[in-house]
Amino acid sequence: MEKPDKDAYDAIIIGAGMSGLVCGCYLAKAGLKVLMAEQHHKPGGYCTSFRRGRFTFDAAAHSFGGYAHGNLGKIFKDLGIDNKINIKQHDPSNVITSPDHTVSFWADIDKTIDVFQSVFPKDADNIKRFFNFLTEPDSMSFARIRSWTFKDLLDKYFTNDRIQAMLSFPLYGNGALPPSRMSAFIGARIFKEFLLDGGYHPAGGMQVLSDALAAIFKEAGGDLRLSTAVKKITTKNSEVSGVVLEKGGFVPSLYVISNSDARRTFLTLLGKNNVEQDLKDRMARMVPSLSTFIVYLGVDQAATTLPVSGVNYWYLSQYDLSTAYLSAKKGDFRDMGRYLVHVSPDRSTVIAFMNAPYGSKRYWETNRIVLSDRLIKAVEANTIPGLSKYIVYKETATPRTLQRYTLNHAGSAYGWESTPFQLADPDFRKPSFIRGLYLTGHWTTHGLGIPGVAYVGYDTARMVLRKKTHNCQKMLN
Amino acid sequence: MIENIEKDIIAIISEVSGYEPEEITPETDFFKDLEVDSIKAIEITVAIEKKFKISVRDEDVPKIATVKQAVDLISNLLENKKI
Repeated sequence: MEKPDKDAYDAIIIGAGMSGLVCGCYLAKAGLKVLMAEQHHKPGGYCTSFRRGRFTFDAAAHSFGGYAHGNLGKIFKDLGIDNKINIKQHDPSNVITSPDHTVSFWADIDKTIDVFQSVFPKDADNIKRFFNFLTEPDSMSFARIRSWTFKDLLDKYFTNDRIQAMLSFPLYGNGALPPSRMSAFIGARIFKEFLLDGGYHPAGGMQVLSDALAAIFKEAGGDLRLSTAVKKITTKNSEVSGVVLEKGGFVPSLYVISNSDARRTFLTLLGKNNVEQDLKDRMARMVPSLSTFIVYLGVDQAATTLPVSGVNYWYLSQYDLSTAYLSAKKGDFRDMGRYLVHVSPDRSTVIAFMNAPYGSKRYWETNRIVLSDRLIKAVEANTIPGLSKYIVYKETATPRTLQRYTLNHAGSAYGWESTPFQLADPDFRKPSFIRGLYLTGHWTTHGLGIPGVAYVGYDTARMVLRKKTHNCQKMLN
Repeated sequence: MIENIEKDIIAIISEVSGYEPEEITPETDFFKDLEVDSIKAIEITVAIEKKFKISVRDEDVPKIATVKQAVDLISNLLENKKI
């Protein structure tokens, strides 16, 4: 090991998304010298908010789960987030409506089970067994279904297509996959975190959460640089040596942790010549998740028809999610009836989401306004009567907008598709051919959504700290 | 042969867990001693499958809890592959 440069950082984190922020906080709190470089002018990645006049909009992520009973609660407690911000749970967290049924997910799981049993009385026992499996305390139970799809899991409990679709639809929204493609492992985790312990929102908007993590990082001595893009990850003898910033040149570091897009990390930042052919071949075959089309609406205070705020309202026009997925992938929006709508806790804004393909620049120039109008009409018809007359401000984000702000490949909303084939790939966590490089966040194939990526961030920090402690001891001996 | 498998397994566990090879013995319990969780258990299995070009059954994933157990399972699978 070479003598460390006194100006060198212990770790440089590329990207201040949720995973990078959590990882940075743990490393800085452990006393490491850490630089976090974020290309955008605010921290958070998909967990940011923006202001337009009196309206504050959550840009993408707008609620989270896994806080009371999951890993996120432990992480936020470790980092002291609870002392800084006010997190509220909205109950119910999710309401799913189809032309035939409405079901709600409540903080009290028995209440949720009752709701499902009353809507699908013939499946009462199966519903109970399914929820029991999801809440099983044996942490290895999900590992036993690692090659299953979520459809395989549902088939074990249900033959009714409708109940299968109602249980899968929030995963279609939170992972952009139909049950026939979604990994059962990831699906079960999202279910447990988001549906059985969901509906959390920080007072003031999601930016408050990212800003609080950024503040904790800085208080612990971390160096956060916003509007700072990384151009290259540099290496020496198959080991990282630092990064080159777009403006500012070379910065040496022992470890580099990328919270950026995986393709960008390997092909652009590390450079094609430094990546194993096998990984390049695999990446060429791998499928990124779909993106999202978002409509942000500022609404009049007189809007009396708004549903309960802070709740995720899902609308499902028909039960075949595989076809829905293929239509979204092709950009075929003849059926607008598959969306999520969310009223902000302050009841001043409404956000509507639907899965969408990357699409060409021309596609979105042509379709942006039309789709936005049609989505508003669909929400008005099925969820919020009279919505259009309350709109006082309107803005949209296309997959290209998401890509521009976050550099996620093709504006992908959830990293690589969470299929069983793309699960827990070691090279997207800590590539074997280059020492000192770690990936963190939703491109690792290890988790998605706020609880998922926060946990990966925590775990990345643990891995780095184990290495670092060991190397320090070796130098002292 | 077995010694080589053991060395490869320790290298994989070290990469996945962040613990150094010298901290990992044949009896170290991945879940209790190395804080391996369910996603890392799957990651270990994926790494083993890639390294040894074998296919591990889903129900065996939680059974790979020590280096010794991994070596036994892989030796068996490699033996069956020959037949």
